[in-house]
Formats: sequence, structure tokens, C-alpha cells
Amino acid sequence: MLLKTKTALVTGASRGIGAEIAAALALHGASVVVGYHTRKDAAERTVERVREAGGRAFAYQADVRSMDEVTVMVEEVVNRYGSIDIVVNNALSPYSFNPAQRRTVWEHNWEDYQEQLDGSLGGAFHVCKAAMPHLQKQGSGRIINVVTNLIDFPVVPYHDYTTAKSALLGFTRNMAAELGRFNITVNALAPGLTQGTDSSRETREDVRRDIVRLTPMQRLAVPQDIANAAVLLASDLSGFITGQCLRVDGGLVMGS
Amino acid sequence: MNETKEITRIEAFFLPAGMSFETTTSTRILTSEGPVELLIPVLDGEKLKMIIANLSRNRSDYLSTLSTSEIIERIAVASEKWLNPSYPQRVLAEQLLPALTGYAADSIRLQLKRYMRTFRRKELLRFIGEEFDDPLVLDEFRPRKSGGFSRAYGPKLLFQVFSGNVPGVSLWSMTMGLLLRSAQLGKTSMAEPLMAVWFAQSLAEVDAKLADSIAILPWKGGSEELEREAIRQADTVTVYGGRLAVESVRAKVPIEKKFVAYGPKASFAMIGKEALTPDRMNVTISRLAADVAHYDQQSCMSPQCVYIEDGGSIDAQGFAALIAAELGRLQLRWPRASLADQEAYAILEVRNRYWLEEAAGEGSAVYASTKDAQWTVVYHNTPRFEGSPLNRTLHVYRCRRVEDVIPMLEPAGQAGLLQTCGAAIGPHRMFALAEALGNIGVNRFCHIGSMLQAKAGWHHDGRFNLMDLIRFTDIERTMEDELEQYDPDFE
Repeated sequence: MLLKTKTALVTGASRGIGAEIAAALALHGASVVVGYHTRKDAAERTVERVREAGGRAFAYQADVRSMDEVTVMVEEVVNRYGSIDIVVNNALSPYSFNPAQRRTVWEHNWEDYQEQLDGSLGGAFHVCKAAMPHLQKQGSGRIINVVTNLIDFPVVPYHDYTTAKSALLGFTRNMAAELGRFNITVNALAPGLTQGTDSSRETREDVRRDIVRLTPMQRLAVPQDIANAAVLLASDLSGFITGQCLRVDGGLVMGS
Repeated sequence: MNETKEITRIEAFFLPAGMSFETTTSTRILTSEGPVELLIPVLDGEKLKMIIANLSRNRSDYLSTLSTSEIIERIAVASEKWLNPSYPQRVLAEQLLPALTGYAADSIRLQLKRYMRTFRRKELLRFIGEEFDDPLVLDEFRPRKSGGFSRAYGPKLLFQVFSGNVPGVSLWSMTMGLLLRSAQLGKTSMAEPLMAVWFAQSLAEVDAKLADSIAILPWKGGSEELEREAIRQADTVTVYGGRLAVESVRAKVPIEKKFVAYGPKASFAMIGKEALTPDRMNVTISRLAADVAHYDQQSCMSPQCVYIEDGGSIDAQGFAALIAAELGRLQLRWPRASLADQEAYAILEVRNRYWLEEAAGEGSAVYASTKDAQWTVVYHNTPRFEGSPLNRTLHVYRCRRVEDVIPMLEPAGQAGLLQTCGAAIGPHRMFALAEALGNIGVNRFCHIGSMLQAKAGWHHDGRFNLMDLIRFTDIERTMEDELEQYDPDFE
């Protein structure tokens, strides 16, 4: 139970990687807040899953793009569970991952990039800003920002999505530099293509096969792989690891 | 979840329009979209008689008047619907088949879409063209190369007994029945009673009167009254299944009726050293593993064992270790169905036997999953032929050259048990190996990774497809000349 007595807020946790992270943190003893925007039913299922396994959780609706809504959400977390220790920024503006229907770079407008920046970066910014005072007062904290290994290797160029995630990585490093002295670690988690999530549903066999062939561990990620890495970054075991981008993709991408 | 979801009821049968019977519901199936119950008609001999009478009437009123070309068109349009991801029957199939069969949902989704592509018009034309130089012989008397004329006639009533191990196999049988303008009664297995029903529904959407010559019904195997009635009325009976199923039906079919059986078969793979170079070995292993994993090895075309040649970058035992790891990974992508006790024990028995051999230093090595007997690979340092208990249990045999193994396969070949050999070898070896395999009774030679996708027109179990179901009537060569004399104008 690596996370006993800890409280975690996971945004975008109604399904996919976010839900799996929430469940894994809870399994290791954390009290978890399952943040969601529209999928209340799915968020409740995640909460149910945590409770059935003997953990503590509740779902909270908020649009991470709104500072006000996020402020209220973080207040609620601290009220209900007494503290906030771990923040996982996984939410993003709705995105359709479809290699056959994506926009090429010459078809994009700035608004597309802005929308993704508002979700991935803006959302993380709001949550961190709201949570920071609490973490600073505590003298400890874990911030985990979910990016993507597409930053290093855009095997499918989702321009707006991946650019925003790149910004989130820059945000992560700079926060790490400033918050380290408060004993707050800030790291990025970069999943590879993960089966069973919205981001992989439309990916056809040929692309999957290409990725698997180049992956040392010869398979795609499952949500559990990403969740396990999140538990590591959330725990005391990673207490001296900060500003890092931990790629969880079976070795597809290596190095800086 | 304590949320009570509404139960969906699905008809697990298809009848000509205007017929309805009392139904009972099957046990509840839990699917990703909620609980489902199947509606099964309550049948007896009398009701079956009525159904058959209806089928036969609809056949003579309509189906028999269509040309082969018109029938092909209708089948093609019906199957094309399945290439649309939102087609309601396809959505249902993707939801229900995993729950019914236990096979992984993603595997079913992938295999189903590949399979439905084999019913497109061009494939149906290939299928017919394979066996008939002049396909019009199915519609009318056609001139023969040896003089005279011939015409082919299909069964008036075809009784088909389907198995449930691989979803959709019944569709080829149904297609053949339609192409031959036969009324058909399909008895499905409760293991998978729905694909045939959905296909009949697709056909009905295209041409309701055509579909009225088809009835798809589930009833418990061994229902004497129903089987005897069906056999009594049919002029041709086909059976798909294991030895017991085939023998039990065969015993009831009198000698004068045509009986076609697709019985138990085993398939295997051969890997030459050319496929085991450092740049090829990984893709070789992943292709073969996929052939093992889909349908949990239950297809007659699934490889039960593989022969690995010496001389590659990886030896046979290394191959066994790697394919075991790959099966472990595939368990994540396409989880194996959960097994009945009997099936699980069969696997454990094989593991135990070879663990003992391994411990005694007798040249075996067992690679086994830790949970639920999900996958098993058994390495043997000398080759022989031994069937596997399936459900992702693979024997890996070391051999010097794959050709050396042929004599060991001969007894199984002679017993009519061998079907597909999937191989990865240098192209210069293809014909010689094909010759040797053909000699011992193997009827399909293909590349690994494609073992489960037979191409249209293949000789299923080494036999003809449509040809096995038809009879010919010949107008003898000399008749037309001789008959001229009865025309008063002829001189």
C-alpha cells in the first residue's frame, strides 16, 4: 500500500487511462477524486469499481478549462478528504484520434491548437494553481502530467493534440524547477498507444502492427501499464525524481 | 453494479414470413451492453413439417425462378451491408458473439470484418467459376466439350447441421444452398446460434421472398423427432462437427440421400530456417501466434503444432520461448475464453505429462501461463505428430529439415485428419513441399498468419464445394442428331 493516507485528484478519470490510474492509486491506499466533465455514468462506474475493491473515491464534475470550477473542485477535495497530495492532470479538450480522418497541418487553423492548449495545458495550469498552495503548505506533493510519446515520435501526427502535450511537458519541467524546493515533484507520464482507450479505437491493424514491430516489448500498452507507472510517480519511491518524462511504451521511444 | 438494466431479447431463429411459434428464453447472457436473452422456438415434428412445407413451396414459387446471376447479386448486396460498421446486425454480432462464444471481442470484430469481405460479388463469381467452366450450367442445359448437353441440379431441400466453434462458417453453407436454389433448413448449435439468423435477416432485407426459402432453427442435438423429420424430408444433408456429431447424423441418413460431412480436422505449421533470420524471426513468430490465438485454436485450420527447422538464428527451443511470450502478450490483447473444467484438465494433463519428461531430462520443455491455463507451449527436441487439446496449446517440434517430418504425419493424413499446413519457407521449396504434403493428404498449403482465412474457391477438406451437392442430367451426344429425323422438314 504505497499511498496510504494520501489523497489524489485525477482529472479526465471517467474512462480509459484516467480511470485506470484512479483505480490503481486507490488500490494502493489513496483516497481518490475521479474528475470528469461530461461522462457522469462512466465516472460513477470508476468510483464503484474503487469502492468494490475496498477503496475510497468520489466523482466530481468540473470543466478544467475554467479556473472557477477548478478552484471549487480543489476546495471540495480538501474539505472531503482533508488534504490533497497527488494531482494527475489527464484531462484534455475532446479529441478524435482517427488516423484516417485527422487534419493535416495545412488543414489546421490556429483555433484547433488553441482548443487543445486550453484543455491539456490550461486544464493542468488551473488544477496546479489551485492545488499549489495546499502542496506548498504541506511541504510535499506529487504532480503528474499525462503527455504522450507522440511528442518524441509522432508516428501519427495529431498536430494540435501533440503540440499542446509538448507545451504541457515544458510546463512540467519549469514547474519542477520552481517547486522542487518545496519537496513537490512534477513529472510527465508519456504513454504510448494504449489499447482499450478512445485514443486507439480508430487505429487500424496496419498502424498497430507497425508500432508493435518497432516496440522492444512487442505489444501495445494496456491501461494498467500506464497506471502502474503513475503509482510509481505518485509514491515516496520517486521522491528524488522530478522534471522527468517517463515514457511507458514498451521501449518504442528511448533517450531524451 | 446493482443497476437493473432492461433485458434485451433476441430471436435466435429465422422463419419464412408469416410463421410464428411459441418461444422460450435461453439462459441470460451478460454482454458489454447489458443482459440478453435468446428466444428459442418450441418445436415438434408437426411444426417442423409445416415449416418445411412452407420452405419448399417458397422455393418452387420463387427461388427456383431466379437465375444464378440474380442470386449472386442478392447475396452480394446482403453481405456488403456487413461492411458498414453501423449495420445493426454487425453491431449486434460484435456485442453478442464475444459473450456467447467467449472469444475476445477485438478478435471477433477483426475476424468478422475480414470474413464478410469474402462474400462480395467478385468472390462469389470466383467461387462458382472455380468448379464450373460454364456457370450457366446451374441455370440451363449447356453444351459440353465432349458433345451433348448437361445441366446441374441442386438439392430441393438441404438440411444443414452447423457447429458453433467458429462463428460464421454457416454462411458459406447457406450461400451454397442459395446458389443451388435449394430450400434450406439450418440447425444451429446453441454455442453460436446467431450468425446464420442475422445473415438470413440481411438476405430478407434485400429480397424477402428469397429469404423465405430459408429456416434457421436451434434445437438440442439429439432431438430424435426433429432430426428424423428433417432428414426424412431433405434430399441432401450436410454436417459440420466433431466425430460424434458427424457419426450420429450419418447413422440416420439413408444411403440414397446425399450426405456431406465436414468432420474433425487438424492443421499444423512448418517453419524453415529462411524465416528464422534475425530480421524475419519476430514477424514469423507473431504471425504464427495470431493463427493460434484467434478462435482459441478451435478452427479446423488452426495450427496444433509447429515444426521448427535447425539452422536459423533461433533454435526450436528459443522459438518455443518466444512464441510463449507472444501468446502471453496476445492474452492481453485477445483474452482466451474461460474454459469448462474438462477443457482445462485436458491442458493441465498435457502440461503435467511433459513437465515430468522435462524433469527427467527427456528433451521436453514446458512454457506455461501462470493463470487459468491461458496458454501453453510444449517444446520437444524430436519431432512427431500429436494433436493438442486446443485453447492455445501449441506443440513445438525441433527437426533437422521440415521435409523430414512428412513420414510422421502420414498416418494422420491417411486417416483423413490433416487439413491445412501453414508454412514459412524459401520460395524455391514451395512446390516440392506441396507435393510431399499433397501426397499424404494435406489439402491446403498457405502462409503462416493466413491459416484461418481460406480464400474463396478453396477445396474445403480437399473436396468440391458446390459439386459435392449437385447432380447432373445429361442429354446424350447423339440424341440431338437422331431426333432431327422426327422433324418433318429435316432432310
